[in-house]
Amino acid sequence: MVSLTINGRVVQANKGEMLLSVTRREGIDIPALCHHDAVEPFGACRLCMVEITKAEWDGWTNYVAACLYPVEDGLIVQTHSSKVNELRRTVLDLLLARCPNSPEIRQLAAEYGVTQTAYEEIPDADNCILCGLCTRVCERLGFKAISTVGRGHDKVVAPPLKEAPPDCVGCLSCAQVCPTNVIQYEDEGNKRTIWNKSFELIACKECGKQTITRDFAEALSSQRNIPEDYFELCDECHRRELSVKMGSIVSWSREAAS
Amino acid sequence: MKQRLIVTPDLCTGCRTCELACAFAHSVKGKPGRSRIYPLPTGKHEMWTPVVCLHCDDPACAKSCLVDAITRNEETGAMELDNDKCVKCMACVAACPFGCSLHDAQHDLVVKCDLCGGDPVCAHFCPTKALTCRPVIPTRRKAVV
Repeated sequence: MVSLTINGRVVQANKGEMLLSVTRREGIDIPALCHHDAVEPFGACRLCMVEITKAEWDGWTNYVAACLYPVEDGLIVQTHSSKVNELRRTVLDLLLARCPNSPEIRQLAAEYGVTQTAYEEIPDADNCILCGLCTRVCERLGFKAISTVGRGHDKVVAPPLKEAPPDCVGCLSCAQVCPTNVIQYEDEGNKRTIWNKSFELIACKECGKQTITRDFAEALSSQRNIPEDYFELCDECHRRELSVKMGSIVSWSREAAS
Repeated sequence: MKQRLIVTPDLCTGCRTCELACAFAHSVKGKPGRSRIYPLPTGKHEMWTPVVCLHCDDPACAKSCLVDAITRNEETGAMELDNDKCVKCMACVAACPFGCSLHDAQHDLVVKCDLCGGDPVCAHFCPTKALTCRPVIPTRRKAVV
């Protein structure tokens, strides 16, 4: 265990833990767009910058991304000092120039007092902040269907060769974790379309409710040894089936007792 | 101490108090969450039964979770879902053969029974004691020869 001071409060943390997870546990709200607990910290959005110092640093301070900074004994952290807020305003100013139409970015920027960007807005902006969270989550799931392509201002998130990705199973995790909700998908009838690829949705045998795609179910069956017939019914029909089974068991035991 | 939520269908009247208690116990920012327990008719003797996560020994939800967000709490014995880790791929919702991993559409969260951290609220509120919570007493098993 290490002991550190965050905003004047002494806090205990586990060794090796990142500063951001400690502040989140303590209920301190630090904005972070590219962070997700399912994947390793990446430090792409730079919004979680905090000011750190130590008693022996003679008043010198450093600015670090909280998601990537492991806690140390005796660390003194300021999460919302005026200099930190100024840094975040600069980052938000740049993000606003990149994604002027994103409601999420606009709201966060407004919270920090940035209502209009000082930079030139990008024409035909697509709201992607290129944090790579979607690609990292896809890799974590083991599919690696999408990645960042190109460098500099040509960088985009795309499937290989910008064609329908062969490894995508249509689980929608990328769209779910995207901080600016830029990944579009469509569920129509029994078809799901994402990344220009069409998937068949498994309909429940009893009620027709659709939960996941057939490709995803097949991937789960083969990788994780889950029987394929588990995917035939939806959650609601599974519950009904269990209640009927429990009723039969009770009535058997009643008959056996009488 | 490991807990076990014991369901006795004979005693269930289908009053759905457990559902209400669960929804309020798992409120998100003051709004009731989706109940993790479902009293359903069994179709026999006009009998009802609460359907709730069985915290299986070999859980399909944890096996299907590709980001390992569902893990067993060794203290309570419950399979718990970490919503910060969950990427909402719905694999557990589709894979659970008892339909006890659910999608809370209102809060856009995947939820499942966590035994309320070892003291299930539903068991406290069940008026007929169809739901009770007992600690698991480790029994010494005879070796199979």
